[in-house]
Amino acid sequence: MSSDDVVIKARHIAKAYKLYDSQGDWLKQQLLGAAKTYYKSFWALKDISFEVQRGESLGIIGRNGCGKSTLLQIICGMTRPTKGEIWVKGRVAPVLALGATFDLEATGRENVLIGGAVLGLKRYEIFEKFDSIADFAGIGDFMDQPIKLYSTGMRTRLAFAICAHMNAEILIVDEALSVGDIAFQQKCIDWIDNFRRTGTLLFVSHSTGELSRLCNHAIWIDGGRVRQGGDVAEVVRAYKKATRFEKDSMSRFSAV
Amino acid sequence: MTRLIHRQAPDAPLLHVVDGKQVVPGNYNLVQRFGLFLLEPFTGAWRHRDLIAAILRRELRERFSGSVAGWVWAVVAPLISLVTYTLVFGGAVKLPNGNPANSPIDYALFVFGGLIAFNFFTEMAYRAPSLLHEYAHYLKQTMFPAEMLPVISTLRATTYASIGLALMLICQLIFGGTLYWTVLLLPLWFIPFLAFLLGITWLLSAMGAFTRDTAYLMMTIAPVLMFATPVFWSHETLSPVWKLLWYANILTGFIEIIREIVVFGELPNGLVVAWTVFLSSATFWLGYWFFRRQQDGITDVI
Repeated sequence: MSSDDVVIKARHIAKAYKLYDSQGDWLKQQLLGAAKTYYKSFWALKDISFEVQRGESLGIIGRNGCGKSTLLQIICGMTRPTKGEIWVKGRVAPVLALGATFDLEATGRENVLIGGAVLGLKRYEIFEKFDSIADFAGIGDFMDQPIKLYSTGMRTRLAFAICAHMNAEILIVDEALSVGDIAFQQKCIDWIDNFRRTGTLLFVSHSTGELSRLCNHAIWIDGGRVRQGGDVAEVVRAYKKATRFEKDSMSRFSAV
Repeated sequence: MTRLIHRQAPDAPLLHVVDGKQVVPGNYNLVQRFGLFLLEPFTGAWRHRDLIAAILRRELRERFSGSVAGWVWAVVAPLISLVTYTLVFGGAVKLPNGNPANSPIDYALFVFGGLIAFNFFTEMAYRAPSLLHEYAHYLKQTMFPAEMLPVISTLRATTYASIGLALMLICQLIFGGTLYWTVLLLPLWFIPFLAFLLGITWLLSAMGAFTRDTAYLMMTIAPVLMFATPVFWSHETLSPVWKLLWYANILTGFIEIIREIVVFGELPNGLVVAWTVFLSSATFWLGYWFFRRQQDGITDVI
């Protein structure tokens, strides 16, 4: 495969969050930052390197707090890595995160218009696709009701339906697929299967079964580093084995 | 679908960050980089125009559809203040700047013009510090262009200010009997004013994201600023040295200009215009520069 086919390239990515003891420290940092450091750094990611080819499906596993979400945020461009290089080519769709941005007072219809715009769709594109989105979500007359009346499952359906229509080249699916009912889950999996023929998939899940089924490669993140990468079956096997032995210790969340 | 992807491929967004810095494709020298930076707010707003329109539409709907009377409130509030000034100052034969009053409503219009500009400013100043907190879920969960939030919020406030301005022109027409041709210059007044407000909003919203003190600071400063700004009086009665000092407050220039073109039908002083335009452009790009510099930190702290 030629290097032209690389769509995501991450080289030694590290991300530090600045933790300030007080807001006064933040102000001091802004004014006197050149001379002294007033914050503590929390390194959510320490050293992550990987490459994703076009059409590849990469699974990302790791325990809570290992840095998966931070990594996804970096790939989406929501936050920047403190060190290292990230290179992403193509339109990224973060599936389901969108559900969190729904405006509860507005109707499903209005939220499709706003959500589509947030994802970068043009107004006419959203209108063109509206019927198809409503059809995919399959929530019927609820489309004209305020989102606050929706169940969690219905919100997920609508969020996924919007993402499924944005012609993304890179799809990022973060856990939460399990919210929908079996029929809808199947619909999503089918859609993702179809998407994989043309697009690149990043799949984050604690369900090793789903991961093995949808991905061909995987990386296992542990403590902000890639602990193992490669063929999905091997990574999943190693991950399962490790979780059986390693205790769920609190020290993983310590911020130093 | 494949065809669609290929059609989009050339202008597909490309993210490339090295050591916390966005890599700008292509080789540019310092001057070109500076030029690109100056253009950035405009190209950004154009690229995100559909998003800006969608959010703005929702905000306006939210503001006016939650109440029974809706848009009526937006008209009634400035109308009442205009009527109040007319009743209070109706008997005045002399305007604050010493000019004779041509009609009973002249004094009220004089004050009202200043008030439109000042209220527009305070609305932005009060809201900006909490602006990014309001949209935290967008900023954290989606690839939302945070630098466009101040644009949306300024445009939103523009609609209220326009209502007040329209009311002012209507009253001028009815009671003054005529509109001066200089009213046509109003759009030219609006452009630097919006630029100034945008700059301020970028600055305050970025600061407000880090510390709530920004909001308290504005709540303390704004009422004081009201008296440092010639809303109810005219600085033309001051001695020349003091007069110059007042122009350090950019609102003075804007208020003076709007009065001259709407109430008096005169062309504003060229020097005042140049100074005001200079200050507002500086605020605009400084604010934008500050916001962009803080932007990465903003998503992390909000």
